[in-house]
Amino acid sequence: MPDPRLLLEENPGKRMLLLGNEAIVRAILEAGISVVTTYPGTPASEIGDSMSAIAKEAGVYMEYSTNEMVAVEVAAGAANCGVRALSAMKHVGLNVAADMVMTLAYTGVRGGYVIVTADDPECFSSQNEQDNRFYALLSSLPCMEPSNPQEAKDMVISAVEISEKLELPVLLRTTTRVNHVRGPVTYGRLAKATEKGKFTREVARLVMVPAYSRPAHTVLLKKLEKAADISEKSPYNVVTKKERSSEYGVISSGAAYNYAVEAARLLGLKASVLKLGMTHPLPKKKIAKFLKENSKIIIVEELEPYLEMQIKAIAKDHAPNVQIYGKTGKQYFPRDGELSVKTVLMGLSSIAGKASPIDFSKIAKKYSDMVKELPRRPPILCAGCPHRASFYVIRRAGGDKTIYATDIGCYALGIAPPLKVGDLLVCMGASIGAAQGISKALQEAAIAIIGDSTFFHAGIPGLINAVYNNHKAVVIVLDNLTTAMTGHQPHPGTGVAGMRHQTERVFIEKVARGCGVEYVKVLDPFKIKKAEKALREALQRNGPSVIVFRSPCTLMVARERRRKGIAIRPYRITDACKNCMACVRTLGCPALTVEDGKVHISDILCSACGLCASVCPYHAIEGEASA
Amino acid sequence: MKEFNIVIAGVGGQGTLLAAEVLGTAALKEGMNVRVSEIHGMAQRGGAVTSEVRLGDAVLSPTVPDGQADILLGFEPLETLRNLRYASEKTLVIVSDERIPPTELSAKNQPYPSIDEIIKKIHCFTKNAQVVDTRRLTEKAGSSLVQNTVLLGALAANGKLPLEKQSLVEALRELIPTRHVETNVKAFELGYDYAINLNAKRL
Repeated sequence: MPDPRLLLEENPGKRMLLLGNEAIVRAILEAGISVVTTYPGTPASEIGDSMSAIAKEAGVYMEYSTNEMVAVEVAAGAANCGVRALSAMKHVGLNVAADMVMTLAYTGVRGGYVIVTADDPECFSSQNEQDNRFYALLSSLPCMEPSNPQEAKDMVISAVEISEKLELPVLLRTTTRVNHVRGPVTYGRLAKATEKGKFTREVARLVMVPAYSRPAHTVLLKKLEKAADISEKSPYNVVTKKERSSEYGVISSGAAYNYAVEAARLLGLKASVLKLGMTHPLPKKKIAKFLKENSKIIIVEELEPYLEMQIKAIAKDHAPNVQIYGKTGKQYFPRDGELSVKTVLMGLSSIAGKASPIDFSKIAKKYSDMVKELPRRPPILCAGCPHRASFYVIRRAGGDKTIYATDIGCYALGIAPPLKVGDLLVCMGASIGAAQGISKALQEAAIAIIGDSTFFHAGIPGLINAVYNNHKAVVIVLDNLTTAMTGHQPHPGTGVAGMRHQTERVFIEKVARGCGVEYVKVLDPFKIKKAEKALREALQRNGPSVIVFRSPCTLMVARERRRKGIAIRPYRITDACKNCMACVRTLGCPALTVEDGKVHISDILCSACGLCASVCPYHAIEGEASA
Repeated sequence: MKEFNIVIAGVGGQGTLLAAEVLGTAALKEGMNVRVSEIHGMAQRGGAVTSEVRLGDAVLSPTVPDGQADILLGFEPLETLRNLRYASEKTLVIVSDERIPPTELSAKNQPYPSIDEIIKKIHCFTKNAQVVDTRRLTEKAGSSLVQNTVLLGALAANGKLPLEKQSLVEALRELIPTRHVETNVKAFELGYDYAINLNAKRL
């Protein structure tokens, strides 16, 4: 979309090509939501980004919260004052927020509250591919699953209504192929957000001490019964195709529905289709009826057999003779990775004993014969990325022996050769705690590597632990002054907030000192000698230390230069070059290429950071560092 | 039209996302149903990227099954090869000659395959392949950042695409920031003329 302000047009009936995430923002405006909170994470990031761009004009309060837990706390606080709210996060963000969400289900909300959880089957940009529909089962919260951008918009609006009817938060579970798909979306009417809420004291409902939690759980289960009625009547739980033959019936939800319908069509499989859009609680009666009408039920769902387990239980009571094909018995569809028309077609073909019209194995064989040994092109640190300088310094000071616990962000790409920094990566903030355990077990200093946004998100309790328990951990904060990987969102260390206004800047070094860390240094990683010296000192210490390598993200700098019309003067290789390959071997910068045995600097990619000039033993690289 | 599938292959940062959005927007202008799939985040950092555009009333899935691309639009020769699993003898492959050597090649001191080798491999899948001299055309357009619109122009010149040139130009004008519109429209026309001449020569 050329300009997010197009989302603000009243214009009901207008058709726009929207990204799933943009459709969710349009829904925020059509549902009269007052408060939007988020922590950026792929594939949910553009919800916050588009909202941030228009929030002021739309009269919606929007914030980038420090982490997903805080995002839910803020939104739930607002929703309990009767205003409508929405929080958006990636799937693993809901793990962070889970403590709040689980008991928020007990207190409930007064204004409609929607939690968007964006799952990432295939781990396009994630550390795992957990199926967050199970959070709905775990928390007893209703859950809706859109299949495309239009449904994402419609379902947010419905979810707000359901949330207010039940006085419960509602989960909207999307996946990458909904968030990052563009499709036609028809605008509805805009609604005005409530400007000011009202808090009514109701201690027994909102204060979850044991005496009030016990009855609150009973209340929650009652609400769940009401939710089941809503699910039975929901227009999102619908038979989209009815065949006269009563043999095959397909049940599907979310993105998987798209593949299921297309694959069945390609195969020429005559099957009725039950599409489930509200997947918690399930419409048991509707499903039982479908099970009775069809003798062979095929369940097509992405990741875990969430529907299948529950549908099998329904079948046991209502249609014990029905045959169910999915992934819990014989595995017709994969339980890992994202589905596709291909994987579903192969499963259907095997179930129906009908040959697939596309010979995928023939294509695969031809492809592997023709295209073997293609050089890989994994994502890499950009040319000019300050993390490359940091990793160069870290490798020089820490060598091969030191263990490097790393974290979530662009700098995870530091594991690639030749930098090879990163021995353990699990989740946001884990580097700091893990490094402490590693140092304890190995009886020597270990290094934690964490980004600026990640430090604020989940690093601080770990740092306090290092001080409190006096661990020999060197915490290196790679501060590029933005949340780079997800698209350059601001964070507490930037001095900019979600509504795009200036705010108090929180300094990482002040936080570290405040937590009691004695050795705290802030350095420019491109000044490699000074940076290396400080890191060597830190490694010698008997307790924790913090080194902040501060230098802005090169993409941000390049954008700023382009905006101001400042030309970048790329570095050059001079005649003094002996082709020793030191630059290529130690840095792995994409702007350094080798052709006919000679090193070249790409004038398109070079961003004039000057790191290659600093490492060249023959001083054969020239240029002007443009800071 | 039942369905029409376009796969766009390139390297993160080359503008494949915008090209896909232009195609999707043009399709919507012509009243078609469309799905565009994109990959953001981790995959963008100079890594291999693929965008898919599917047109047609019955289209639901945003991704194209193997062997089902009507057009494979390659922004980079090696990335075009990497996505040949989408191609069949019915596919038209349009490939830019702009090479971006993966760092692995430099690290191992291996040469980038010649354009002849690349074409030979494409020919194993389809004889219908066009190489676009994008570097020369982008220089002529006056910006190194307009490769994507040059290629869209070349695509529009091909009778196979079920979209009008006019809708594509309108979509471009809507989606590109005002100050870059004229350079991009020029680049689009250069790509268009280039492909028209290429097709005429072939006849």
